[in-house]
Amino acid sequence: MSDAGELQKKTFVVTRFDPDVDEVPKTQTYEVPCRPDWKVLDALNFIKDEIDPTLSHRWSCRMAVCGSCGMNVNGEPKLTCKTALSDYGDVVEVAPLSNFPVIRDLVIEMDGFMEKFRDVKPWIIRAKEKAAEEGTYRQSPEELSAYKQYSMCINCMLCYAACPVVASEPHFLGPAAIALGHRYNMDSRDEGAPERNRVFRGEGSVFYCSYANECSEVCPKNVDPAAAINQAKLNAVVDWATSFVVRRKR
Amino acid sequence: MARPSHPQAMTPHRPAPTRTAPPTVPDDFYTKPRMLTYLLFDATGIVYLLVGFVALRVARALDSGPEAWADLMSDFAQPLYVGFHLLALVSVLFVGVRFFRLFPKAQPARLGPAKPPPRPVLHAMLYVVWIVVTIALLVVLGGVWP
Repeated sequence: MSDAGELQKKTFVVTRFDPDVDEVPKTQTYEVPCRPDWKVLDALNFIKDEIDPTLSHRWSCRMAVCGSCGMNVNGEPKLTCKTALSDYGDVVEVAPLSNFPVIRDLVIEMDGFMEKFRDVKPWIIRAKEKAAEEGTYRQSPEELSAYKQYSMCINCMLCYAACPVVASEPHFLGPAAIALGHRYNMDSRDEGAPERNRVFRGEGSVFYCSYANECSEVCPKNVDPAAAINQAKLNAVVDWATSFVVRRKR
Repeated sequence: MARPSHPQAMTPHRPAPTRTAPPTVPDDFYTKPRMLTYLLFDATGIVYLLVGFVALRVARALDSGPEAWADLMSDFAQPLYVGFHLLALVSVLFVGVRFFRLFPKAQPARLGPAKPPPRPVLHAMLYVVWIVVTIALLVVLGGVWP
């Protein structure tokens, strides 16, 4: 790392939680000499490496691709590897993502999220697979454009932290899972839309969404889950209505 | 600091092997400008409910004859009613602007063989329809036509 630029001291108020000791999470303050080009994650790594090795946080790629380092920065869900410290004042609050149980410090419990993911069957479903010798499934650029935006999701879970419905309705499938299910429903190679639409109308219904649009506001990859959910609502209704007319194989 | 979220929010069906802290949201989760705008959008439903009651009163006055209608018009000139109608107008404008911003992207990528117009075009079309309908209503209610 270059030494260019003056160090600026910032105060980090970090949420700490040790399940073996703490009844509830608490905050701990660290003074960190920050370089001007640092991201929030750089400061957290500095704390971990130089000040307090007991701090736990997730991170991996450092380039907004892996989706591991999502945290609340000054109350707003952010990818910490993409969030410049220069955008903040002298005091920066870092907390685990909202709406998730916390395992330790800034590390959240992801299993609930993974369960919702599985529920929407995020893979290509075919009534009958083509034999290998018949070649690959072809797709035109226009067919690709129907779902490409929704395939850019990196599962960072910021949308779940921002969603007021997730905060009040635990059954709700939530933005990323619905966007992913919708992505496969829009895929010309897929034939599983009726199955997913049944999930969309089921316990975690897409109709819980009240279109606050917060998921799309905080999405670091501009996936626009709110658009996916609201398109999925219409598709789920049309699918339900046509199910009375068209008999489908299960 | 934080306030409790739903205690079961994003909790897996099978409990985690270690104890976890319950889900929370920031203290200002519901008071940030974007969230306040959303809550205000939903709260305008109360205004529309009241407008519905006023519409019922108008219908009843119409049914009861000229005297009741005159009474109603006299009530409508009171500051309370004028204020309420202004609030209703602001609510309609507020909801219209937010709804028109969010509506285009909620449209399906295609409806059968037809593709909806691009989002900016759809956005503009909504405003055009809104303005045309408003002018038509003003013309009819103002007695200019028919």
